[in-house]
Amino acid sequence: MSTTLIQGATAPASAIARSTDWPFLGAAVAITALLIALVILDGEPRSAALIIAGFGLGIVFLKSEFSFTASWRRFLVRGEAGGLLAALLLIAVAALVIVPMAAARQSYGGAIAPLGPSLVIGAFVFGIGMQLANGCGSGTLYTAGGGSGRMLIALLGFIIGCVVGSLQLPAFLALGGIDPILASDLLGPWGGLAATLASIAAAAVIVIAIARRRGAGIAPPRPLVVGAVAIGALAIAAFLAGGHPWSVTFGFTLWGAKAASLMGVDLSNAPFWQWPGPKHALGDSVLSDTSSLTNLGILLGAMAAAAAGKPFARASWPPLPSLAAAAIGGLLMGWGARLGFGCNIGAFVGGVASGSLHGWVWFAAALGGCAVGIRLRPLFGLSRD
Amino acid sequence: MRTVYALVLAVGLAALLADHLTSPSSGRAVSPEDFAGACAPCGAPCPSVQKK
Repeated sequence: MSTTLIQGATAPASAIARSTDWPFLGAAVAITALLIALVILDGEPRSAALIIAGFGLGIVFLKSEFSFTASWRRFLVRGEAGGLLAALLLIAVAALVIVPMAAARQSYGGAIAPLGPSLVIGAFVFGIGMQLANGCGSGTLYTAGGGSGRMLIALLGFIIGCVVGSLQLPAFLALGGIDPILASDLLGPWGGLAATLASIAAAAVIVIAIARRRGAGIAPPRPLVVGAVAIGALAIAAFLAGGHPWSVTFGFTLWGAKAASLMGVDLSNAPFWQWPGPKHALGDSVLSDTSSLTNLGILLGAMAAAAAGKPFARASWPPLPSLAAAAIGGLLMGWGARLGFGCNIGAFVGGVASGSLHGWVWFAAALGGCAVGIRLRPLFGLSRD
Repeated sequence: MRTVYALVLAVGLAALLADHLTSPSSGRAVSPEDFAGACAPCGAPCPSVQKK
């Protein structure tokens, strides 16, 4: 006897059991538990907290289908503001804790970065890549973890692009630039928070005005609002556990450099890998790097959430041009993220939520890159919408 | 696609465990920003320092 599930009706327990992909759900939970056990054995409960925060982020991203890439594309193509406003809400929630704590507590710090050609070029190229790959830093992580083989290829390209970018970043930094500008340095913890929230509100007003002029929708769908608040809260948890705002792409760079070392390519003498932070990360366990911990949590959380609801990774592979777009988009994002000091999470969310001016510069440049990337999508058989 | 995922999961886990078990672990997880002179999440130095 076949059972037909009607949307909105409560699914019988037997149907839920049949739709759960136990091997992949079990693997995701077991690997997460193993990673938590390893870092606890090292005597670091805060590392376990980062893995758990990442796991939660993976679930929330997947369930709310929170997408920076699609939101920005809808805004640029149709003028729809809902997704972009949800992203600004996410940043405002995170800023409530990050700006004052990073300014007032010595053990915490904000996401800062220099302003210069490297930031602008990197963010612009990242924007092109995110529209070709159809996912950004967090998007690539949670969709790859959620069972999209296409995004697994984008992730591989992302990692390779990050490593190439790490080798070229010092040359781009030599083009010049100015030191980071942080609102809390100028106005103190609470003045910095007020200025940050005011800048987010101003951006929201501009986005709404553009949407109204184009006759497009403004209100974010409810799942996006819930997702934005939940992701903002988990970003705060990652900040409290890691001491810095949540970031993604340094982890990819480290994974790529370690993989290159395994294949006999020694990067340790490259200028980037001689800087104290990267040098320490390359020599240490990957589980000692904060962004790797949250990245692994997101991948596994998304895998668990996807496998809990339906058979995992059952879709067929997309056409070759679409796979090529994923690979090229991933490469561009990786290269751009290294030059631009992060992705939409580390640079845009983390930067703006820290009250750092580079976050807004990154956003403007990446949005410009998105406009170019949207025009390139049809070359790979992807829609402009 | 499931086979590819199973393979990626197995290889990724093996590489991660091998790296963790053969590399020193400083205990507390850190970010490149935690080190002196870092001016970005990747640990890049500030332009004012580079000019010197």
